[in-house]
Amino acid sequence: MGSRASRLLREEEIEEIKKETGFSHSQITRLYSRFTSLDKGENGTLSREDFQRIPELAINPLGDRIINAFFPEGEDQVNFRGFMRTLAHFRPIEDNEKNKNPSATEPLNSRTNKLLFAFRLYDLDRDDKISRDELLQVLRMMVGVNISDEQLGSIADRTIQEADTNGDSCISFNEFIKASFVVNIHICTVVFSFLS
Amino acid sequence: MSTAGEQDAGLSLQEEHESKTHRTKRRDGDRQKKKRRNERRKGGTRAGEGEEDLQAVSEKRERSKRKRAKSKQETSRRENNEEEEAQLTGGKGTKARKDIRNEKTRRMEKEEVREVEENVDKGKKKQGSTKKGEKKEDGGKQLVKGKAREVKKKKHKKAETSSEPETSEEDDDEEEDNDKDVVRLECLSPEELEKLKEAVDERKKLIQSLRGKPWAMKKKLVTLRESQEFVEKYEGALGKGKGRKLYAYKVLMTKKWMKFQRDFENFKTGCSIVTVASYFLFLRWMYGINMILFGLTFGLVMVPEALMGRPYGSMPRKTVPRAEEASAMDFAVLWDFGGYAQYSVLFYGYYNNQRTVGWLKFRMPLSYFLVGVGTVAYSYMVVIRTMARNANESGVGDDNSFNFSWKMFTSWDYLIGNAETADNKFASITTSFKEAILEEQESHKDDNIHLTRFLRVLANFLVLCCLAGSGYLIYFVVRRSQKFALDGLENHTWWERNEVNMVMSLLGMFCPMLFDVISTLENYHPRVALQWQLGRIFALFLGNLYTFIIALMDEINLKRKEEKIVKFNITTWEASLYNGTVSENSTASPVTIHPADVPRGPCWETMVGQEFVRLIISDTMTTYITLLIGDFLRAVLVRFLNYCWCWDLEAGFPSYSEFDVSGNVLGLIFNQGMIWMGSFYAPCLPALNVIRLHVSMYLQCWAVMCCNVPQERVFKASGSNNFYMAMLLVILFLSTLPAIYTIVSIPPSFDCGPFSGKNRMFDVIHETLESDFPPWFSKVFSYASNPGLVLPFILLMVLAIYYLQSTSKSYREANVELKKKLQMQNEENKRKNKRAALKAQMDLEEARMTAQEQQRNNNASVQDQESGSLNSNINKEY
Repeated sequence: MGSRASRLLREEEIEEIKKETGFSHSQITRLYSRFTSLDKGENGTLSREDFQRIPELAINPLGDRIINAFFPEGEDQVNFRGFMRTLAHFRPIEDNEKNKNPSATEPLNSRTNKLLFAFRLYDLDRDDKISRDELLQVLRMMVGVNISDEQLGSIADRTIQEADTNGDSCISFNEFIKASFVVNIHICTVVFSFLS
Repeated sequence: MSTAGEQDAGLSLQEEHESKTHRTKRRDGDRQKKKRRNERRKGGTRAGEGEEDLQAVSEKRERSKRKRAKSKQETSRRENNEEEEAQLTGGKGTKARKDIRNEKTRRMEKEEVREVEENVDKGKKKQGSTKKGEKKEDGGKQLVKGKAREVKKKKHKKAETSSEPETSEEDDDEEEDNDKDVVRLECLSPEELEKLKEAVDERKKLIQSLRGKPWAMKKKLVTLRESQEFVEKYEGALGKGKGRKLYAYKVLMTKKWMKFQRDFENFKTGCSIVTVASYFLFLRWMYGINMILFGLTFGLVMVPEALMGRPYGSMPRKTVPRAEEASAMDFAVLWDFGGYAQYSVLFYGYYNNQRTVGWLKFRMPLSYFLVGVGTVAYSYMVVIRTMARNANESGVGDDNSFNFSWKMFTSWDYLIGNAETADNKFASITTSFKEAILEEQESHKDDNIHLTRFLRVLANFLVLCCLAGSGYLIYFVVRRSQKFALDGLENHTWWERNEVNMVMSLLGMFCPMLFDVISTLENYHPRVALQWQLGRIFALFLGNLYTFIIALMDEINLKRKEEKIVKFNITTWEASLYNGTVSENSTASPVTIHPADVPRGPCWETMVGQEFVRLIISDTMTTYITLLIGDFLRAVLVRFLNYCWCWDLEAGFPSYSEFDVSGNVLGLIFNQGMIWMGSFYAPCLPALNVIRLHVSMYLQCWAVMCCNVPQERVFKASGSNNFYMAMLLVILFLSTLPAIYTIVSIPPSFDCGPFSGKNRMFDVIHETLESDFPPWFSKVFSYASNPGLVLPFILLMVLAIYYLQSTSKSYREANVELKKKLQMQNEENKRKNKRAALKAQMDLEEARMTAQEQQRNNNASVQDQESGSLNSNINKEY
């Protein structure tokens, strides 16, 4: 099957993707076959419905947010390049690439980029801040209707109180990093594992 | 929420509600299915009525087709088992599955088209489509979307292919069956098929001619294997008839297997939320310990005795007595560990007291003694080491300054792809949030303290009554069983013979439930309540065990009295024998008597061992049987009777059973306690326990997967880990006490066991020291064991312990202090920042104000000017 997939994918394209995202050849072909299998319209792009067909995403309370992360602003389709670019965030950090060339631009799978990806999942209105309302929305998605609004509000307040250091009652990206410096970036690696 | 009582009640209510909603969700799925089915039926009859015969036939055909399509849809839909869906879209080899789908949709479309052609009655068609629409609504939203697309396509195709030739239905059926399984090929174009065929033929030729190729053997083998695999993979698909069927079957099985694996993965990631997993980890750890204990006893005691000791039947202690010989092989007797089992290497009494056995000169009694001590010492070491490690982990990693952030950002498990698992995850997240809120509120809570106190005292009183009652019951039963034993076991029923074990097992089963009911009186925080509950069950088990032991002690004393009489009798018997032979013939060799006929004392050690083994066996049996009946049978009944029952069984009263982690852990701990207690007198106990643990690992794993629902309230297991460990330690201590007591204070039986003929069991150490070590060693040893040396040494140890204790305490205090400091600093920073932010805001505001002011002034001046100029103009005009 892999051979079929790679036949449809041109070599130079693979090379470009390799350079951009750091995936290996076999990873790219495998992901391509996954891409085509997800692509029900068979037009070389994925739509939101295609993503929603992945059960892990359909069930995930943040599934919509994750799917959104694949689509550039205002677009409804994503091609293989864009797909790979987003997936590159999930690529685990390998030891040997850490100190290869620090002068180059930061790779997509760096720690900061991973955290930024996670941050964007919660930052619904893309203003680089997680506000109380955004937290409330996410909470609502996560716990359903079993907890009263009041309690949810107190949870959100507590979360902000914990993470907020500059007193603007929002969580900025820097504060997010600080709050999750103990959290290993397990989210990202895990997402990767079911997409591939 | 004003009072704690209300709070807790509210919590439990909410949780109940929550559980209901979760269950109802699941149930709703079933109901929907039912509805769907009914609708189909109804639709069928509706359509069938009032039709002409000819049309009815076509209708029927159509319906059957539709049904087929639907059933296919349903299988591909997230029905009862959403994994099917998960499998269809996720996982490896999706390509093939995708093709299945495509194939299906295509086929469905075809059918749809034909349906349209056959169907002249437009209204009816409409009816059908609306019916379908309803059904579609039932499915998940993704399906709806998919369907919508399909419908679109359908319409598209309807227009296009209205002239599509009709094939006969039989053909279609066959085709369907085939291409369901051989789909993988269908997705290939004919030329690719051709190519594949060629490749397969090539490989076949290669296999045939491989023998003659001038290659190295290794290469040959590799090629052979590769090509065989290739041929196997594709030949079946390409071939016709038998090969094809076989291939289809294989594909089916791989699918099933993948589904199973997927299920298991889901289970592992999902429902086994920490706690259940922690039980199984504990079980595995226990298994490891028991393996080592088993290795010790088996390798150093049982095997040497069996291989090198005197064989069975060579001496009285190794022979079944004449009176029991007839029934010694009966299953009932063996099941009670009597007969041949009693006179075997499994029990203390079988071992001989000869100092060395075999050509290795293995010190059997010494080894027996040291293994007994070693098992206990090893267990102590392992338990304490594990406790220390646990304490370390909890001490260092306990940083809860980002507690809520953690819960917020990392609680979802991104690997969950199964609706039921997701429900459970939702429940557990909700619970964890609630728990966190509850803990936050715990500090400022205010309550009717007198009522609570009264209720708590009452609850404790009730529990004490239960404990005392169960203790008395056991004592009573044990005494009664002794009476039965004196009468002879044969004239009693099965119940009377097994009364003790059964009563103990039953108490262990029902008392915890009673405690659970009582504990609702108390209104504790759930975690505290759990610990109380565990403590009570612990006390119950312990009480039962100790009553049992006390009763056993009575029995031991009885046996020892009996032994004295027997001993006296034996001397007279021997004397009479000797006298008899002397009087007959003074030069004859001593008369040989068959060992089975020699009178012997009651070997109390073996009796104790037997009791413990029986206890373990009956305990194991009750555990397994409750598992099968209480979990499996209940789950089966609930599942299948639910279709025809007047109330909802799944959400209502019987429901599915929860996996009771704490109860199971306690059971495990007590079981282990019995092993420690009894293994000195029955070396087979660790072996039995290893088997038991092994079986229960898999049995319980299966039960958890197929017939339990996860606990509604989930509490972190990591905190209570050491709690369980502490219990284990207490049990270890308490179970070694009686064993040590019997070893130290009761003289061993005179005619059985490795220590027979000695005054005390530990005399074997003296004996070894005296005869096997050089004299200086025993001298040194005697000096070292001098109280004048031992006492200062003990004092030194106590001092060292005290010193370490106090240093660790001071470290902990310093740690807490530092943490507090850090937090203070954080807060200070926060406040400072806030003040700065506020100030900046104020400044900004001020600046804006001044700017506005200025602007207004400017405007005013401009206006003034304008008005001035206007005025001047006016003045000029005038």
